[in-house]
Amino acid sequence: MSDGRLERTLKKFGDVRPAEARTALNFAAYFFLITCTFYLLKPVKESALISFLSPSWWPYADLITALLIGFVVAWNTRLLSRMPRRTYLTASLLFFIFSVLAFWFLFDVHASGEVRSPVVDPSGMYFFLSIQIFIQNMWHWVVIAFAFWTDVFIAMSVTQFWIAVNDVCDPHQGKRLVGLFVTGGLFGGIAGSALAALSTFARVLKPEDLLLAAPGLLGLAVFVVNLVYAGQRRFDAAVGDGPVGAPARVGLLESLRAVRSSRYLLLLAGMLASAMVAGALINYQFKTVVKYAFESQAQTAAFISLLFMIVLGVSTVVHLAATGHVLKTYGIRWAIVIAPVALFAGSLAVFAVPIGLLVGWAAAVRGGDKLFDNTISQSVRELLYIPVRADIKYKGKIFIDMFVNKFATGLGAAIFWAFYALRQFAYRSDGTLASALAIVRETGFLTLFFLLLWLAMTRLVYAEYPAVLKRDIRKIHKEGREAIDEHVDIGMTLEIFNTIQSAERSSTLYYMNLFNLVRRRQLTPELKELLGMRRDAAKARAMDALFDVGGGGFFPELEEAIADPEIQKEIDLVFLLPAYQQIMGERLGEIVGSASEVDRIEAANTLSRMVPNESTLQALARLLQDPSSEVVLYALNSASVHRFPEHIPLIVGLLANPMVCAEAQKTLADYGPGVEDLVAPALQADAGPAEVRRAVPEVLARIGTQRAADILLAELARRREDLEPALVEALYKIRTDRSAVRFREKAVRAELLFLVRKACDVVLDPPGQKAARDKQVVWLAVNSTNPEHANFRQPEELKKTYTEWQAAYAAQLMDADGATGRAYGAKTTPHTFVIDAEGKIAYVGAIDDDTGGKNPERKNYALAAVDALSAGKPVDTATTKPYGCSVKYK
Amino acid sequence: MGQPQLVIKTREADKVVIFDLEGELRRSDLPQTTLHSLVEAQLDRGRRKVLVNLDGVTFVDSFGIGQILASYTSTQNLGGKFKLCGVSKKILLIFQITMIHKVIDIHDECDRAMESFG
Repeated sequence: MSDGRLERTLKKFGDVRPAEARTALNFAAYFFLITCTFYLLKPVKESALISFLSPSWWPYADLITALLIGFVVAWNTRLLSRMPRRTYLTASLLFFIFSVLAFWFLFDVHASGEVRSPVVDPSGMYFFLSIQIFIQNMWHWVVIAFAFWTDVFIAMSVTQFWIAVNDVCDPHQGKRLVGLFVTGGLFGGIAGSALAALSTFARVLKPEDLLLAAPGLLGLAVFVVNLVYAGQRRFDAAVGDGPVGAPARVGLLESLRAVRSSRYLLLLAGMLASAMVAGALINYQFKTVVKYAFESQAQTAAFISLLFMIVLGVSTVVHLAATGHVLKTYGIRWAIVIAPVALFAGSLAVFAVPIGLLVGWAAAVRGGDKLFDNTISQSVRELLYIPVRADIKYKGKIFIDMFVNKFATGLGAAIFWAFYALRQFAYRSDGTLASALAIVRETGFLTLFFLLLWLAMTRLVYAEYPAVLKRDIRKIHKEGREAIDEHVDIGMTLEIFNTIQSAERSSTLYYMNLFNLVRRRQLTPELKELLGMRRDAAKARAMDALFDVGGGGFFPELEEAIADPEIQKEIDLVFLLPAYQQIMGERLGEIVGSASEVDRIEAANTLSRMVPNESTLQALARLLQDPSSEVVLYALNSASVHRFPEHIPLIVGLLANPMVCAEAQKTLADYGPGVEDLVAPALQADAGPAEVRRAVPEVLARIGTQRAADILLAELARRREDLEPALVEALYKIRTDRSAVRFREKAVRAELLFLVRKACDVVLDPPGQKAARDKQVVWLAVNSTNPEHANFRQPEELKKTYTEWQAAYAAQLMDADGATGRAYGAKTTPHTFVIDAEGKIAYVGAIDDDTGGKNPERKNYALAAVDALSAGKPVDTATTKPYGCSVKYK
Repeated sequence: MGQPQLVIKTREADKVVIFDLEGELRRSDLPQTTLHSLVEAQLDRGRRKVLVNLDGVTFVDSFGIGQILASYTSTQNLGGKFKLCGVSKKILLIFQITMIHKVIDIHDECDRAMESFG
């Protein structure tokens, strides 16, 4: 096959580039050979455990793997760092080839049941006879050793595969080609289990003879590995044998601390552990049924390999067709409970299932457990790790993978072992399915308990999930902000969340928004990770799960492409192409007139990057008048880029729409100095929507020029009550933020005095004072302001002002040290106290109920109390909550 | 791995001129026949249905996009139909961000693109 045709064929499974097709094919073949070998060995291992060992021995096999595999991995890592890579991989595969042949020999000797010697030499005969006698006597341990060897084989060979990928492919290549590699592995798994099922069903081969296929497959793997490294030298001499670029090692204690530091990770570890214990118990139930259902190892191997083949095939279909859909439709909240609920229902069914259907039940529950593990549970696990901070997650995952998983496997084994011994099931090993049913029913209570625990843990984990997600988003945002720009505002946060949400609308819109973020240099690696949400990674890992191994994480490729400066530059250049401008000039009107809201949103978004010309102007004007607020929001964003003066009246009009008012204000402010007189008419108009008039001062405040301040002040002088708060707020903002802006004292003083007077009317309440005076009440004004405070006024100054305002108090008392005010407990200005003829306080609180100062029908509490006292009646309302500014005590 | 040279092969099926592109569609210092000139030559021969197969294209720069757009315009101006197929996700990304995908008919599968010519 030519390179071009090969590349086109492989492209169906991954993004294969020219000149890398052969290397990619070799890797896919390498993974195929490994998984094919594993799925040939797996039925032999399982059937040997089931057929040759009593159930009480099964937990030993799992316990040994749980305890020892960590040591083997550590030893393997040491070897890896000491040997040239190609030599290491070749030697490792050769080790497995020779050891599988040795195991075949042991199985063959056991199967023959004879003691014979291939040599006649006495010393040789003695050696072979001793070995054979040993095999027959210690067969249990040989089977357990083989089970352990199989587990070591898959763990090491898959790790070695990814090491080779890491050596030969750069990270970008690896990410592109992972789909192709995983497909190779998938086909290998299906081919291996199909071969095992067919050959054992047809009784072509004895189960142990399947082991003889392994050396051939692994021999081919040796050839392919050497081909890969040889090819690599030819293509790129810079990359060759060398140590693995592994991340820094993390100790078990450090990873334990990481898990302990996070309640969420602790819950997650608990959830995964209970799921694993439940899975282990389901596996023991399955083995028990199979042991009593099938007489020979051959039948057992055939049944198991068929089940593996079905599970693998169904998992692939379900994963590709349903996992994403389930997650999207039901969200993580419900996706997380699917597996425990379904398995609970399945496990509960054992109490109703008749003996005739027991094998079907066991296969369904065991297959279901593996199916969920390969598909939805795996994807859910990846999603659950998303809210955890990268460093904690890395360490936490190590602890969970290295310790919690093995602990759970060991716990499952110990529970089954103890339960089996306690219930004395060994006495029921009469080989009947009735005994199997009794055993699985009793074990079923334990399984149900751990499934319920798993279910309960899912609820606890999910209860924490949103809080952790929000907290981490805030933290990531904070870190990104500190790293990139100290002045990133809330707008950026909104933009990020809009970008995340836009992925739900359309992928085009998502990529457009992402591109905008990148162009503004606001996309930190953390945010990129967040935005990607690693959906592709979860998908890839779930496929890895089919081989019972962990996989590496991969960032979505297109997000990386957008962040590529070369791609950005080329996209920018496309917008400048005359051909592009000509085509868009002709077609833009049609695009923005689309009936689809998403199409119009995308158009509104893209317009921000187009060259400003007549067609852009027209298209944007049309989108600014769109009935959809979403479209208008994007159009406003583009308008703030182009700043066509022709759009200003349209944007001013949008100030009346509460959905887009804030963005319209921002857009007008982005027009910057020079636009003040274009927006002023909207402020000065007496007709038209009041919302527009009230929104304009904020626009002028953001522009913050001298002209903006003058317009605001002139409008304040018109004393339009509805605009006063907005005008004062805007002027205050300019005064605070723009030191260069000057306010003419003459103009400001008059307006300030007017406003202060209005405020003090409330405090002094001249009409109230006059009414009180008419009723022979002495009104004392106590001023407890600290003489050193900026608000302090001399008594003469106050008297002059209050006289001007026609105040009618009897006396003004200066309480400079605050003793009087404190003695009465006065907190606000004003805080009113009405004292009766006997010197007792009859009323304390606010002067009236008009906290806003705009209620013409206000109720004056102080006068009401005076009236009641004058009439000799009790005061109805003796206390109210005072309002006003705090007293500035010394 | 060096930059692969662009190879353009022209074939015809069901009155549709198909340009199979392989390599990188980008500006080059080497004088070569451009996609646009090849399309124009076919238009001059009276062909009006043009399909550009980008299945073998790994990268397109702005020059390449310009070639595609110029070819589209030339075909449209003569009342013809111009379509793309086999566009990789990365190249589609450029079309999406520039909204070219709203203008030019783009198909994942070339067979579907052929059917759509009617």
